[in-house]
Amino acid sequence: MKLVKQGKGSWQYQLNPIEADLLNSLLHQFPFTRNMPAEITRTDKDPKVAEREMLLNESLAEHRKELQKQAWELLIKKSKSRVQSPRLILNAEQRETLLQILNDIRIGCWVALGKPESMEPENLNQTAQELAQHHLMNLAGYFEHHLIEQE
Amino acid sequence: MPSVAEPVTIPKPVIRKQTRSDDDLAPTYYVICWNDPVNLMVYVSHVFMKIFGWNKATADKHMMEVHEKGKSVLAREGAEKAEFYVHQLQNYKLQATMERAE
Repeated sequence: MKLVKQGKGSWQYQLNPIEADLLNSLLHQFPFTRNMPAEITRTDKDPKVAEREMLLNESLAEHRKELQKQAWELLIKKSKSRVQSPRLILNAEQRETLLQILNDIRIGCWVALGKPESMEPENLNQTAQELAQHHLMNLAGYFEHHLIEQE
Repeated sequence: MPSVAEPVTIPKPVIRKQTRSDDDLAPTYYVICWNDPVNLMVYVSHVFMKIFGWNKATADKHMMEVHEKGKSVLAREGAEKAEFYVHQLQNYKLQATMERAE
């Protein structure tokens, strides 16, 4: 994945066919994991905290639904002229959406793996499911890294 | 003959009632980002730049603080604004909370 063109609020990445298939597969299957409960505070004892936390979680669930809708629009369309070098063209909003989707996948897999402190595969139980989640987590990180680092 | 000084009238001090606006009385909150082993460092910096409009140096400084000290205070705001920031940060799946300032 390589940034080939960057304009004002626009990014164009060139991917190889395998990367394009993998990214499309991630987007197509999003979300991989259930909603994760979020906390709004760790120390505030205000009685309204529970209500505010509920609102936060409702808002996050809505946001996730919106990301799911937008994931379909980000799927890379392979044109005949670019079979060997598919392009991913994003505006600023789409780029942020894609980053949020990828990080949702990454965090979701990490939570499903039991929030390990170490990301090394040898620390996992190595069941097929865990290996798949570990692979997905790394894959999402790979795309995140390339989206951000090449500015 | 000694002169007699004119009596000086000292105006009574005006004591103004100290008033505070609702904003002064309302509690303020720290917006805190907590460390985790999964979010990429470049991603965390990117999110800080996006949400707070910081330059890369400031964003990196806070990101490193999260990484090395376990947390970083990103802002001190009233409840509404602090909650807004927490929502924004959590949309990006960063572990952010709001904690009442002392």
